[in-house]
Amino acid sequence: MSDRKPVLEIEDLSVAYQTANGLVNAVNDVNLKVYPEEIVGLVGESGSGKSTMAYAIMRLLKGDAFVTKGHIKVMGEDLYALSPKELRKFRWNKISMVFQSAMSALNPVMTVQTQIVDTLTSHRPEMSKAEAIKRAGELLDVVRIDRKHLNSYPHELSGGMRQRVVIAIAIALSPGFVIMDEPTTALDVVVQRSILDQIREIQQVEKFAVLFISHDFSLVAELASQVAIMYAGRIVELTKSGTLRLGERHHPYTEGLLRAIPHLTADEVVIEGIPGTPPNLVNLPSGCAFYPRCPLATDECRKARPNLYQTDNAIIECHLFKGDREVQHV
Amino acid sequence: MSEQRNLVEVKDLLVKFPIADGGRRSFIRPVDHVSFAIKPGEVLALVGESGSGKSTIGKALVRIVEPSEGTIHVNDQDVTHIKRRELVAYRRYVQMVFQDPFGSLNPTRTIEQHLTFPLKKHGERGTNVSTSVDELLERVGLTPVAETRVKFPHELSGGQRQRVAIARALAVNPKFLVADEPISMLDVSIRAGILKLMNQLREDFNLAFLYITHDLASARYFGNRIMVLYGGKVMETANSDELIRHPMHPYTRLLLAATPGSGIRGALPETSNKAPNLVEGRKGCPFSDRCPLVTDICREQDPPIVQVSETHTTACHHV
Ligand SMILES: Nc1ncnc2c1ncn2[C@@H]1O[C@H](COP(=O)(O)OP(=O)(O)OP(=O)(O)O)[C@@H](O)[C@H]1O
Ligand SMILES: Nc1ncnc2c1ncn2[C@@H]1O[C@H](COP(=O)(O)OP(=O)(O)OP(=O)(O)O)[C@@H](O)[C@H]1O
Ligand SMILES: [Mg+2]
Ligand SMILES: [Mg+2]
Repeated sequence: MSDRKPVLEIEDLSVAYQTANGLVNAVNDVNLKVYPEEIVGLVGESGSGKSTMAYAIMRLLKGDAFVTKGHIKVMGEDLYALSPKELRKFRWNKISMVFQSAMSALNPVMTVQTQIVDTLTSHRPEMSKAEAIKRAGELLDVVRIDRKHLNSYPHELSGGMRQRVVIAIAIALSPGFVIMDEPTTALDVVVQRSILDQIREIQQVEKFAVLFISHDFSLVAELASQVAIMYAGRIVELTKSGTLRLGERHHPYTEGLLRAIPHLTADEVVIEGIPGTPPNLVNLPSGCAFYPRCPLATDECRKARPNLYQTDNAIIECHLFKGDREVQHV
Repeated sequence: MSEQRNLVEVKDLLVKFPIADGGRRSFIRPVDHVSFAIKPGEVLALVGESGSGKSTIGKALVRIVEPSEGTIHVNDQDVTHIKRRELVAYRRYVQMVFQDPFGSLNPTRTIEQHLTFPLKKHGERGTNVSTSVDELLERVGLTPVAETRVKFPHELSGGQRQRVAIARALAVNPKFLVADEPISMLDVSIRAGILKLMNQLREDFNLAFLYITHDLASARYFGNRIMVLYGGKVMETANSDELIRHPMHPYTRLLLAATPGSGIRGALPETSNKAPNLVEGRKGCPFSDRCPLVTDICREQDPPIVQVSETHTTACHHV
């Protein structure tokens, strides 16, 4: 796989928000690569910086947010070096995103058909209106919405239907790389499964890569080949998804998340979180950001930031893995 | 609990929306003769296919949507068609946490303003208001509260906004809360905290919930009973454990089979993956297009709701 060029290459990326309380360090020293046709999962607690990283990749950071450090390349191209015109062409044609706010991302005064057709014709000037209308219908089939909703306005759709329309728009132009930020939060498991099957199917035909952001471990484990785990803006583990279960060697934070998954058919459902709260991103603890909540923390964890260690199935940023081989990058 | 009177009583609820179907005007029925009741302090979990009418039922209950037929009684008051002053008073009693945390907060107001507004409107004054704001934020885990108070919605992550929406709904001390996917964007860890909080409120204030979710594990954990909706109709209702362990309806079985971690791989127990038809005038069971047990009668006649046990009902010709 590594002889191919990655579609996404993130190097030492840090992103911060300037606020009245000081700098919010939302993304810290992130390294990540995604290869063609690969699906990579990104999980982590609420507020850990997943969406911020996605916006940075799209060069869509707004207002008070800025990249303080590092580089991002998408298909070998540095988005931050493109002119606004080039950027417009690059986005949606080459890289697209399903926003976490998908449910309210649609234009309220335009019908579903108009929104899809507009996206298609404005990015593909050579496409005729008739072709675009035909494609709009096909895209609704992909996301399992009845074609009669082509004439519906967003408020006439359920939450999950709106999410699905946004997924349809994101894949409309067959981009090479799609970021999906919690794309299925409003979908029941049956619809979710069939849409993910559909996405996987077209993903294999059209060969695009996906960065799939979700808090749902079981979903990500089924879909992705690799999973990055984010805590306080850092990727603290990159693991093969097949080994994402208790009993394998993982970062204590990953283990905490795994333990918290409730099991539907167990005798009794116990829902348990990780004790404590995520750190204040304005004042990150020195050493390992997870140590205040870590059941296995030692004095060293408080003092020194851990290095990265390569285990059989993962790369982990934790002092506990000192016996393993040290590496520089995930 | 069964001796207690019902807090919420919904009978034969029907909601219609007009649709333009190729120029012709027709109607869909996303809620088609739905009946249920909720007791004080009880949690009814509502699950079902995307687009099956769950949010519409919730909106009808808080009367953002007016029912086309049927009745809704809450605390012995008929609220089916109430207007203006009565409606304002009613909203002090019921609250809704909306499905979309990005669309339901006002971008020009700080988090503090989102919470002080309902508190003041419901009679709190002075330093009490400020203490209550802190308490609410603390409860939903948005700490440090001093920093959260001055933030605007766009400065929060998706899951953090969802928690603001929950805090806002709790601000007026409602007796009944419609919570529409309140934890869908939260990771398991914070989810646990919110579920515990809601459980606590139920115990402390006898708060009743209609808990809309697609997450069966949380429905089982938090719901006393689970009601399964498909195509605007109730397919099955039972005590939570019972429904998960002994599902009767083919759609409930499909839902369970598709749940991640169910252990079932490969093809799902369905014959197609068509979306349900909600158009007024359709015949038979809404699930018949996809049902592995389908026979002629299913396509012709609406299955009646049958009592399987004292606490378990289902609507299927083949059960
Ligand atoms: N515009 C902003 N100004 C200041 N802080 C912000 C802003 N946007 C986000 N943040 C903060 O940055 C952190 C990371 O936010 P982000 O939206 O990336 O989290 P996330 O991992 O996507 O969380 P979720 O799973 O809840 O969506 C959060 O603590 C959030 O409060
Ligand atoms: N204002 C409206 N006008 C017309 N149709 C509507 C309106 N609101 C909802 N609908 C339709 O009613 C049906 C049910 O929608 P509802 O939002 O209740 O579904 P839901 O069960 O909450 O779905 P989800 O799980 O995706 O949120 C959908 O087919 C939707 O298109
Ligand atoms: Mg996010
Ligand atoms: Mg809904």
